[in-house]
Amino acid sequence: MTAIPDPILKVEGLVAGYGKMTILNGTSFEVPEGSITTVIGPNGAGKSTVFKTLFGLLKAREGKVVFDGRDLTNKEPRELLEAGICYVPQGRNIFPELSVFHNIELGGIAAGRHLTDMPERIERALDRFPALREKAKLQAGTLSGGQQKQLEIARGMLLDPKLILIDEPSIGLSPMLVEETFRFLVEQRDLGVSILMIEQNARSALAMSDWGLVLELGQTRMFDRAETILHDPRVGQLFLGGSLETAEKAA
Amino acid sequence: MDQFLQLLIAGIATGAIYALAAIGFTLVWQTSQTINFAQGEFVMLPAILALAARDLLGLPFWAALILATAAFLLLFGLGFKRFLVDPMLKHGVLPLAIATMALSILMKEGAKDGYSAQAAQFPSLVPEGMVTILGATVSSRDIAVFVVAIAAIVALQFFVTRTRLGRTMQATAQNPTVARILGVRVERMILLTFLINAGLAALASYLISPIYLAKFSNGEFIGLAAFIAAIVGGFNQVRGALAGGFIVGLVDNLAAAYVSSAYRTAVPLALLVVFILFKPEGLLGRREERTV
Repeated sequence: MTAIPDPILKVEGLVAGYGKMTILNGTSFEVPEGSITTVIGPNGAGKSTVFKTLFGLLKAREGKVVFDGRDLTNKEPRELLEAGICYVPQGRNIFPELSVFHNIELGGIAAGRHLTDMPERIERALDRFPALREKAKLQAGTLSGGQQKQLEIARGMLLDPKLILIDEPSIGLSPMLVEETFRFLVEQRDLGVSILMIEQNARSALAMSDWGLVLELGQTRMFDRAETILHDPRVGQLFLGGSLETAEKAA
Repeated sequence: MDQFLQLLIAGIATGAIYALAAIGFTLVWQTSQTINFAQGEFVMLPAILALAARDLLGLPFWAALILATAAFLLLFGLGFKRFLVDPMLKHGVLPLAIATMALSILMKEGAKDGYSAQAAQFPSLVPEGMVTILGATVSSRDIAVFVVAIAAIVALQFFVTRTRLGRTMQATAQNPTVARILGVRVERMILLTFLINAGLAALASYLISPIYLAKFSNGEFIGLAAFIAAIVGGFNQVRGALAGGFIVGLVDNLAAAYVSSAYRTAVPLALLVVFILFKPEGLLGRREERTV
């Protein structure tokens, strides 16, 4: 494993799951600052569960989450947002009957009244996504799937997060929109934002990422430079349904 | 024609009251999956509490009204959420619904034993009398009831759409998980909807009791009307509950006059059946769709 430069997020021995079912069996990894890290792994590997546990939606039974030097294990989303993390979950996560503008505005709710430059921030978000500006006054439910995803990202960016957790941003999007979304993430990375992304579209995601993290059965199997992961024969094996352990034996 | 206009105005007035109850019902359903089968009793009780405060504590009526409203908000806004909804929701929507049925019985019997089994006069908060509109003589009370109820609904709508707190509440209702992810204090927003529900129920109570008298059993028909209004309008929509309230109020009043007063409550029920069969999502409803 390559040495990791300055991790912004450290996850140590996370144990979590749903009810009696344990999905994360001591998951540990680190996210390097100012880079894009893509999480890949077969269905049920616990990718989304990691995000939910990091973001305080699922209780970590054991383990530790350290972000930017602060212990944020089992904290409410509000505190994580204040610390500088945002979470863009999988699927559609908008408020369909509120206007696009008001949906974006809700991205700033965690800052409460301290945020004095809210209108400017919303303006900037609308500048970045012209499609949203065009429909700013319409109900968010009228947006296309791709525009809804853009809305979620714009909303998540409102408080200038240091780390973005983004789960399957490409699902249901046209190839052009996927490219646009990836381009936005690269742009943010170049501005110094760290990104942790889950992507089923593993090949194109790794191609634009700096690091790759392979999860299987709730544990980190590999962590390395994205291109190394991309060209690792075992990764192909993993996505064809075999497990890393059997692949290792075979090799 | 004269009679028709009178019925129309009476229907709109009672419809506006049903709408108040139906809107509260919808809000509480949206934010916390509570199907409140005690909603009718929520509308029955504040008037009884006010009368009890006046008669048993000897307070002047205005003071009794304030005390009753405050007690009701505390017990059936905050208390209802804390001590019934929160513990029961963990067990599922159905056990919670059944618990609200039990609460409705408790409230009804409590009002009967604690205050009176008789129907009691409730002083009207709006001017009584008759006015002439378009050549028809109509009750000024009906018009005032309509105006007050609509003013409350407009104020609520203003709060919900034009203030950030109101929009946050709406967002919580539309998707609580996403609201939480954005850092909304979801529990507080839910409590707010319960307080608003209790407030709307109290207002409905003070408006309807002068018309139908204050009686422990009033909740039965009001609850049914609000329930039907909410479903006809679309269970997940405040605008729908408003429309549903007016429809049920009109159908109710017109049916009493033109069909049969004995079948008065049956006609809205028939309306409900028609909607469930042919338009289950209601007039303005959307199909439930929640992710994350």
